[in-house]
Amino acid sequence: MKQIFFILILLVVGLFIGIFFSYGVYYGIHKTSSENFCVLCHEMDPMVIAYKNDPHGGKSKIGASARCVDCHLPHDSLVNYIYTKATTGVKELGIHFFGNVDGIDWQKMRESRESFVYDEGCLNCHGNIFDKKLATLSTKAQKMHNHYNKLKGTEQEVKCAFCHFEVGHTGLRNYLNYYNPEHSIYKEKMENKKEELLNEYKEYGIKTK
Amino acid sequence: MAKITRRNFFKLGAVGAGMLALGNNVNASAIDSKKVKYDEEYDVVIIGSGYAALSAGITAAKKGDKVLLVEKMGRIGGNSVINGGLLAVVNSPKQKVEGVQDSIDLYMEDSMKAGRYINHPDLLKVIGKRGNDALKLVEECGAKFYDKLSHLGGHSVPRTYLAANGSGSGIVLPMFDYIEKLPNVTVKRRTKFDDFILEGDRVIGITAREKYKFDSKLKDDDFENKSGTKKYFKAKKGVILASGGFSCDTFYRTQQDPKIPADADSTNQPGATAGVLLKAFELGAVPVHVSWIQFGPWACPDEKGFGAASNFNINASFRYGISVNAKTGKRYMNELADRRTRATAMFKLVNDNKNYPINICDQVAVDKIIPDIAEKALKAGVVKKYNSIDELAAAYGIPVAELKQTIGKYNDYVKAGQDPDFGKPVDKTDGVLIAKAPFYGTKGVPKLHHTMGGLKINTKAQVISSYTKAPIPGLYAAGEITGGTHGASRLGSCSIPDCLVFGMVAGENI
Amino acid sequence: MKKVLILIYFISLISLIYANSQKEESNALSSSIKITPEIKKKYPLKHSHNKLSLDCIFCHVGQGVNPENFEAVDEDKCLFCHKSKIYLAKRLEFMDTLKANPHNSVHDGPNLYCDECHREHKPSVNMCSECHLKEIKNNIWMKDTP
Repeated sequence: MKQIFFILILLVVGLFIGIFFSYGVYYGIHKTSSENFCVLCHEMDPMVIAYKNDPHGGKSKIGASARCVDCHLPHDSLVNYIYTKATTGVKELGIHFFGNVDGIDWQKMRESRESFVYDEGCLNCHGNIFDKKLATLSTKAQKMHNHYNKLKGTEQEVKCAFCHFEVGHTGLRNYLNYYNPEHSIYKEKMENKKEELLNEYKEYGIKTK
Repeated sequence: MAKITRRNFFKLGAVGAGMLALGNNVNASAIDSKKVKYDEEYDVVIIGSGYAALSAGITAAKKGDKVLLVEKMGRIGGNSVINGGLLAVVNSPKQKVEGVQDSIDLYMEDSMKAGRYINHPDLLKVIGKRGNDALKLVEECGAKFYDKLSHLGGHSVPRTYLAANGSGSGIVLPMFDYIEKLPNVTVKRRTKFDDFILEGDRVIGITAREKYKFDSKLKDDDFENKSGTKKYFKAKKGVILASGGFSCDTFYRTQQDPKIPADADSTNQPGATAGVLLKAFELGAVPVHVSWIQFGPWACPDEKGFGAASNFNINASFRYGISVNAKTGKRYMNELADRRTRATAMFKLVNDNKNYPINICDQVAVDKIIPDIAEKALKAGVVKKYNSIDELAAAYGIPVAELKQTIGKYNDYVKAGQDPDFGKPVDKTDGVLIAKAPFYGTKGVPKLHHTMGGLKINTKAQVISSYTKAPIPGLYAAGEITGGTHGASRLGSCSIPDCLVFGMVAGENI
Repeated sequence: MKKVLILIYFISLISLIYANSQKEESNALSSSIKITPEIKKKYPLKHSHNKLSLDCIFCHVGQGVNPENFEAVDEDKCLFCHKSKIYLAKRLEFMDTLKANPHNSVHDGPNLYCDECHREHKPSVNMCSECHLKEIKNNIWMKDTP
C-alpha cells in the first residue's frame, strides 16, 4: 500500500515537474520566437524594421502577423524545429558576443536566403496558392506556382524565397543601406534616414542612440 | 535632292542608277509618294525626342495635330537629359524679382560677341523675344527651377534659369510625361528615320525602321546598322527635324575639322551622329557653319564624357580659381572667357605632347558650390585634394616657385578687382582667393560639346533650299541640327532656349 | 524467398524508371522544347533565372520551338515578373539620396528600357558609364549590373 502511494506521489510530482519543464520550454520557445526577442541583438534592427513595414509584420488590413520563427525555422517535425532553433540560437549567440557583428555582409547573405526561409512555413499559411479559383492570384502567379509544384522534389526544386525575395521584410535592402551603405559615397548621406527610422520604430525596442 | 536628268543618268553609270532605283538606305535620294503604301498616317512627324522635338510636339498637338515622334535611341531626350539644365531667358520673371536690367539687344550683343559676329541675327532675335513663351511652356508641363538666377560666362547680366534637379532632365522629364498623356501624340523609340517621302517637291512623310537598335560598337552606326523593320509614315502637314548635332560622328566631324582626332572624347550621347542632317542636305537644304564645332573647356581627360569633373570646374575652378600650364606654372587664359577662346588656349597646351593644363582652386571656392558636385568629383578621383600648394605642384609636376608666384599674382588681381594679364572678370568672383587649404586640382581638357553648324532655317523654322532659296515645302527644323543662330560659338545656357523656342515656332507654323 | 526478392527488385526498378521519366518531364515549364547542353552553353541564363529553371519559351513566347530562330523579347516579358520600373526603383530607394537610382535616375526617370543595361545571354553593361565611367568602375555608387 505504501509502495503504491509512493509511486502515486512520484507520478504526480513527475507530472508536475513535467508540466513545469514543458511549460518552461514552451515559455522559453515562445518568448524567444518573437521579434521582441530578436531585436535584443541590435544587429537585427534593419530586419525588424523591414518586418514591421511588411504585411507579415502586421502592416495589412487584417493586422495579423507572423512570427520570426514561422518563416525562419523548419516546420516539418518538432524535433527538427527544436534542434534547428537550438543550434542556430547557440551559433548566433556566439557571433553576437564574440563575433564581429558590424562586419557581417547582410547583402551577401541574402543571396542564400532560401537556406534560412523555409517553404513549409510559407505554405502553412499560404496553402491555397495552388488554388486556381483564388481571385487574387494573377495568371503570372499561377504560372510560377505551377512551375514550383512541378519541380518540387526534383534536383531543380525552387524555393519561395527565390522569387519572393523581400517577403516579410519590405524595403530590407534600403534599411540595410541606411545602417551600413553598400557604397562608400552614401555613408554620410544615410545618417538622417537612419535617425528618422530610429524615431519611427523605437516603440519596437529599437534603441535610439 | 539628286536630280536625275538623262545626262546625269549616263554619268552615274548603270550601277549607280541601279542603286538609286533600289532605294538603298544610305545612298538613295528621297522616295516618291506615289510608290508608297503608308503603314501609319499623321499630320506631323518629328525626328528626335529632345527639347526641340518635345516643344514642337506639344505645340503641334495642342493645335489638334496628330503627331508622331521617332527617336532612334532607346533613351528619350538624347543630349537634352544629360546636360546642366541651364536656360537663359531675357526679361524673365526672375530677372524682375532680382532687379536685373536686361534687354534683347544686350542678349544679342553678348551672343554675337561669342559667335564671332557670324551669327544670323534674325534667328537670335526670335530666341530673345520668345524665351518667356518657352519658359511658360515648360513650366506648364511641370518643370521647376532654382529660385536664384545663375550668371554664366560671357553673359553681361544674370539671366540663366537652372533646372531644380540640376540637370536638363528636369525640363525633359516633365515635358515627356506631359506629351505622353496627350491622346493625339505617339512616341516611337528605337525607331530610326531613314529617308524622306516626297510628293512633288513637298516632304509628305518618312521611312523609318522600327525595332532598330543602336550599336555603339560599330564605327559608323548610321552607315552599318541594318537592324529593324521598315515602315512608311505619312506626315500630311510636314516633318520637323529635331535630331540634334553630330559630335559623336567621327567621320563627319573630321571632314569638318581635320584637327579633331578620331579618338577625341565628347560630352554627347553616342547617338549624336550626322545621319538626318545629311539626308536634309541631300534634299537641298543650305548647310551653315558646319565646320564650327564647339568644345567644352571644362572637361577632364581622366574620365569619359561630361563626367564628374566638368561641373566642378564650371562651378569652382574656373570661377573661383585658375588654370595653369603644368610645364611653366603660369596662367595662360581668361578662365571665364567664352568656350571657343578657352578651348583654343587649352588645345595649345594639350597638343604639346598631352601637357594637360591643371585647374586649381581652394577650400573657400569649394564651400561656395553645391556639396554634391565636389563630393562626386573627389570620389570619382578626377578632382584631387592637397594639403598645400607644394603637394599639389609635386603631384602634377608643376614648378612650385612659379606656381606660388602665379597664385600670389592672381590673388592680388582679385583684391584689386582687375586682371590685367587675361581680363578675367575677377570683380565678379566674390573676392575668392586661392589661399585656404586644402587645395583642389584637376587635369583639364576640352571635349566636343556642340556642333554649331547645321541646316539653314528662317524665323518660321522652315528649312531653306539651296536650289530654290525658298523654304522646302513641308520641312522644318529646330535645335542643334540647325546652324547659324549662335555663329562660331555659343554661350552657356543658350542652346536650351534655342531648342525650345524654335521647336515651338516649328510646331506653330507647321 | 528468391522469387520475392526478384519481384521487389523489378518493382523498384520500374518505379525508378518511372520516377526518372517524371523528373525529365518536369524539368521544363513546357515539354515542347528541347534544350540541349549546346543551346544552354550558347545562351546561358543569368544566375537568378537559372536557379528558377526557366526554359527558353518562358520569355520567348510565341516564337516557335527552335531556339536558333528566337528574337530578343520586349520588356513586357521582363516586367511580367519584375512588375514595373517604379516598383524596382522603390527597392533601391536609398540610391535616391544621390539621384542615382538606376531605375528612376535623375536623367531618365523610369523610362529606360531594361536591356539598355541588363542582358540575359550576354554580360550586362552599365549605361551610366557612358558619362560616369570612373564612378562606376570604382563602384562608388553602383555595383556591376546584374
